[in-house]
Amino acid sequence: MLETTVVVIGGGATGMGTLRDLSMRGVPAILLEQGGIAHGTSSRFHGLLHSGARYVVNDPASARECIEENMILRRIGKQCVEETEGFFVLTPKDDPKFVDAWEKGCKEAGIDAREISVKDALRLEPNLAPDIVRCFRVPDSCVDGFRLVLHNRMSAERHGGKALHYHEVTEILKRNGKVYGVRVLDRMHNKTIEIRCRYIINAAGSWSGLIAAMAGLEASITPDRGTLVAFNHRFTSRVINRLHPSSDGDIFVPHGSITILGTTSVPTDRPDDTRATYAEVVKLLELGEPLFPQVHDYRILRAFAGTRPLYTPGGASGRKATRNFQVVDHAADGLDGMVSIFGGKLTTYRLMAEKVCDDVCKRLGVGTTCRTADEPMCPAPDPAILEQATKYFPTHALNLMADRLGDDLEPVLQKAKIDAEKAAIATGTQVCDFSGNPLLCECEMVSLAEIETVARDPGVYSLTDIRLRTRLGMGTCQGAFCSVRTVGSLVEHGINLEFSPTDSVCRFMQERWKGARPALWGQQAREMEFGRAIYAGLLNLDGAMHEQDN
Amino acid sequence: MSRTIDVIVIGSGMAGLCAATAAARKNARVRIISEGMGCMAISGGAIDLLGYDNEGNLLDNPWAGLKTLAPDHPYTLLGAENIKTALDGVVEIAGRHGLRLKHAGDDQNPRNFRFPTIMGTLRPTYLYQDNIDEQTLANAERVLVVSVKGFRDCRPALVINQLRRYKGWADKEYVPLVLPSPFDEKGRSLSALDLAHVADRPQGRDWMLNAIRGIGKGFDLVLMPPMLGARPLSPVRDKAAETAGCPCLEMASVPPGVAGLRIREALVDELHDLGVEFYENTQIKKAEIKDGNCASLTASAAGREIVHHARAVVVATGGILSGGVILDPGKAREGIFNLDIPVPGNVDDWSEPEIFGKHMVTSLGVKVDSQMRALDKNGVPCLGNVFFAGRTLGGYDYAAEKSGHGVAAATGWQAGSMAAGLALGKTAEQKASGADI
Repeated sequence: MLETTVVVIGGGATGMGTLRDLSMRGVPAILLEQGGIAHGTSSRFHGLLHSGARYVVNDPASARECIEENMILRRIGKQCVEETEGFFVLTPKDDPKFVDAWEKGCKEAGIDAREISVKDALRLEPNLAPDIVRCFRVPDSCVDGFRLVLHNRMSAERHGGKALHYHEVTEILKRNGKVYGVRVLDRMHNKTIEIRCRYIINAAGSWSGLIAAMAGLEASITPDRGTLVAFNHRFTSRVINRLHPSSDGDIFVPHGSITILGTTSVPTDRPDDTRATYAEVVKLLELGEPLFPQVHDYRILRAFAGTRPLYTPGGASGRKATRNFQVVDHAADGLDGMVSIFGGKLTTYRLMAEKVCDDVCKRLGVGTTCRTADEPMCPAPDPAILEQATKYFPTHALNLMADRLGDDLEPVLQKAKIDAEKAAIATGTQVCDFSGNPLLCECEMVSLAEIETVARDPGVYSLTDIRLRTRLGMGTCQGAFCSVRTVGSLVEHGINLEFSPTDSVCRFMQERWKGARPALWGQQAREMEFGRAIYAGLLNLDGAMHEQDN
Repeated sequence: MSRTIDVIVIGSGMAGLCAATAAARKNARVRIISEGMGCMAISGGAIDLLGYDNEGNLLDNPWAGLKTLAPDHPYTLLGAENIKTALDGVVEIAGRHGLRLKHAGDDQNPRNFRFPTIMGTLRPTYLYQDNIDEQTLANAERVLVVSVKGFRDCRPALVINQLRRYKGWADKEYVPLVLPSPFDEKGRSLSALDLAHVADRPQGRDWMLNAIRGIGKGFDLVLMPPMLGARPLSPVRDKAAETAGCPCLEMASVPPGVAGLRIREALVDELHDLGVEFYENTQIKKAEIKDGNCASLTASAAGREIVHHARAVVVATGGILSGGVILDPGKAREGIFNLDIPVPGNVDDWSEPEIFGKHMVTSLGVKVDSQMRALDKNGVPCLGNVFFAGRTLGGYDYAAEKSGHGVAAATGWQAGSMAAGLALGKTAEQKASGADI
């Protein structure tokens, strides 16, 4: 049995942001997440850090929050945010009369929206449709959801917080109308544990309705499924929005070397309904065409879906439901010690965490105030250390790695250095050798030292966990080459994952397969066929699954 | 100049090379037009016949599994005799050019060979290159597993960890060994092909033999990546066991396909001997159909277009991977003649949720008769002088059943024979009628 002051349920951006906030205020807290890093919606969205311009007409309050949080995140999460800016583009299919209301809304919300000429817009983004009518620049940005969650966790841990992954809450423990703990299933070891606490914060996003129900409470959470398409290359350097009232398929977001097109909006009854369908992919492509006429020819890497945790107390649904959030103290419902945070969106996760922590701290009599907007999540790495590390890492790979690793950077560099020195002593050469630290994933430039360090983390069980932390296998080859290499290196270095090598690679490929299925044509079908040729045709992993002992 | 020839074969993978060989052996004049190197460049170099039957049961005798296959499986259309003719042909040709291919068991009782891979898995294959038999593998007590520094795809520790999970392999004693890199450059990463090229050069040959000299002493078996040359005839490979001091086996490796290139070169050498013409790096831009026959093929290379005429055509352009079968949203077609391949309109119905499930899409291709002529939706041949072979055909999933090169060789051989038969018959007719050719 564990004991703490606050249990946070849900390891998405909001939950992890809450854990960070509490930890920075000195409140002992444990976070419980049923899956891996950003298992839920925080990894299943378009990666847009809203400027708020999307909401100025319908939901000005949300718009104002977005622009404020957008600016804060650029400051505290430099490594997670790519400051791309965004365009709002009026196509011949859009109502030109909408523009006035939109511009006025931007002004009122404090969002800097400036028109540029179509000629300049096309010069900056040459793949845009040549027949666009008007174009405005806004301070949109891109955010890496995995990394945001991870860096929040690192910051929280630095302040004493604790996050347990693959731990599923199975029961809210209460006595005389008061919460006193939770019962939790450790899914990787199939063990049940009990955690005693004074307060529970339900930050489970799309699952928050289910958690509330577990406590015997009623909550109007309607999971709303949004499907997205990831393309193989970066055909826009900026976020591109259709300038019209919010609708499906109207946002393109560049993300590292790829581009994401989103999103659909379909109510669903299950928070884990993340199946993307062919019909949705086709619809998104059609809707995306007025912005990018070549969209049908671009190679699709995968289609995926996430569920929005829409808070619908009045019965509104889909795009009509507010994107705003609500902190609900369930004392009013007769249960003391439990607070839920319902609704919201990733851009305002920090603010949501702040509000809920304010509420809980007041109840706990904790006087410290929120500092999450002031202090960066991960300190910038020392340039001198990076300079030294160019001995063991290709320069470009090093910068990418420094950004994604955060606090893990130093152990990785240490490890690479020690390995290189060992290799130098063994071969009598100088210490300047990448051979002790080969790149295992060339698409995303992930090296052995990074993978080894991440794999030794007690919360990492599978190749997928390694992927979420390092981007291994998320590039063009979609794991066809790097998965077998990685498994080989891990075995060689005595690191045992939870699954056998065959099982590890199969699970990894299965994950990729799921994303490819609804768009199984063109270049992507060829890539998947290549994967099958190697892993089934040549290496017989499908047979080995049944013929090997595990 | 007339560019008319008896048979044009499009594609130079296993199916195309076998089709050209079979046609040329019937004295047809043959031209191969190919865009790339085909599947042999990524092949593991062993010829699978049938590893699993229709129910997914592991087959000890591949020939026994043939009768479990569906009526429209290419093997069922051909029958065992035709398959055997093709495989015997490939073995004979490879042998003539210095590459030994053999199967496990004996001629009365041929068996599949469970071929170790660089991931430490075993794949049931039929014809393999190594001068080793099943007994040596089964009886080996001490096994040395070798890789080379900088070769990221093969990790001895992984091979050992994985082989131990198989019955019959669990109780052996294993020792890993990483040989130094033949290149001085620091940290250079290597592919199997880099290593094989070393072995193919005279000075590299000595390096390779020195590197493996005596490593097998005290062992019963050495497992190594396919690095002993990329050519069919290799002095290094012939001397490997003697030099290492014990029997050696090259594991199947991921692309580039060193051992596949050996087979390719043997088949290509044979085609050169037979006088077959090669048009490489050439793409077919247009196929003209007249009266239900292919009248001409427009090919493009280096920006220049040439119109080719042939009396018969073999299409061996491969499957989804190589563009022989083209998938579009809700549609599928064959790549040269744009033959429609019927599919459900909803792409979600093309595949199963499990990656290694039985997918509709992975056995999608051209439906043919026993002569390898495409059938229309009424089951009637629709292109009189065109024959299809290899993964362009539907009705089988090579990756799941482990039958890729086997189906390619057998259907290629059949398509080439049929094309030659038709072309030469036509030539005789035209000669008889005094037509100017």
